[in-house]
Amino acid sequence: MDEQELLIQRFLDHDLAPDERVTFLQMIDADPALRRSWLNLEMVVAEAGQLPRITPSARFYSELRAKIEPRPLGWWERLSSVVRAPRTLEWNLAGAIAAACVAIVSVVGLFAVMPSRVVEVTVPTSPAHTIATRTEQKEPKVFVRLILLQPEAHSVSVAGDFNGWNPARTPLERSDGGMWTATISLNPGRYQYMFVIDGKEWIADPLAAEETTDGFGAHNAVLDVAI
Amino acid sequence: MPQDQQVGPDDAHLVARSLKQDHEAFGQLIERHASTIVSLAYRMVGNRAEAEDLAQEAFLTAFKALSTFRSDSKFSTWLYRIGVNKCKDWLRAKRPGKGPADLDVDEALDTHVAEMRTPERLLSQQQVAQELEQAIQRLPPLYREAFVLKHVEGCSYEEMQAVLGVSSDTLKMRVYKGRLQLSRELAALDPTQ
Repeated sequence: MDEQELLIQRFLDHDLAPDERVTFLQMIDADPALRRSWLNLEMVVAEAGQLPRITPSARFYSELRAKIEPRPLGWWERLSSVVRAPRTLEWNLAGAIAAACVAIVSVVGLFAVMPSRVVEVTVPTSPAHTIATRTEQKEPKVFVRLILLQPEAHSVSVAGDFNGWNPARTPLERSDGGMWTATISLNPGRYQYMFVIDGKEWIADPLAAEETTDGFGAHNAVLDVAI
Repeated sequence: MPQDQQVGPDDAHLVARSLKQDHEAFGQLIERHASTIVSLAYRMVGNRAEAEDLAQEAFLTAFKALSTFRSDSKFSTWLYRIGVNKCKDWLRAKRPGKGPADLDVDEALDTHVAEMRTPERLLSQQQVAQELEQAIQRLPPLYREAFVLKHVEGCSYEEMQAVLGVSSDTLKMRVYKGRLQLSRELAALDPTQ
């Protein structure tokens, strides 16, 4: 690039100082060849600035938007994104104390309503009860199940030493096949008892392993309860 | 840096919203800069359909890499750089037998072009524009990108430096060579000269 070309380029790039511009304009005024070269370059610059902008087609926008916008998620993807989204837990001291109080009350409440521990114990001495359990308390208790088969009966209850011989206190419940059952809680010991059918017929437990006279000519069933 | 439609929130605000998964905000950025990027790509590759495809790729790349955009620079400059790089990749792939290095060196002026074209006719304004479009396509890619950014898109040399990563002096030399080749080609079409 000679000095004249350099001046033209600097003129086109607006790099010339005011006095240099004056010098340059005097040069092109005096030199037709230089003036022609400059005008040709000026025309290129002017025409380039007039070139039309390209307006993108509708296809351009629609395709681009389709590629950028997320496709609709299925319910499983939405659920998965909600569950797996990382979250930040923000807390303060008051909130932490409140949460701790709730936790303490919940644990204490849980212990309060939790049932006592139950241990199964078999009672092999009496066929009158098929399931026997005891609770671990200061005075041990044994759960005894009484069973009587009476398909024709409308009600069955049991009266004995354990309920003051009052049949109204311990009714049996009917189950399928005319089987009547009751589960009662007894201390270890020896008890006499009888079933009362329809509130009027007293019979001894036919499954009892032992009977004894009641002193009035009838027999009571005997139940031995042991741990 | 020229922009298509500067209406509504500025680019930085739209970029911030886009980063919060606001796709509508990025849609506004597309509408604002689409014409500029498509025009730039068209002047670089000379084919409108290819230009739109390349512009789409540029916007998609920008969308996916938006989290890496540094807010201390202009979004339009960053987008220009992505668009120019897409065009360079396309030109490298479309020039069989010539490797990537061909685009990274200054090419000698094609002094034969002026002699090859000798239509003896005066040109109308529209014809001049058409001839200029075609002559721009015949420029070596490095001159072409510099000339297009400078004189078609109206960028300053500082903006061009940020887009192309080349010093202002080098860019001035490339613009000079581009202008010189184009002036010779257009002068050859004018029998009065």
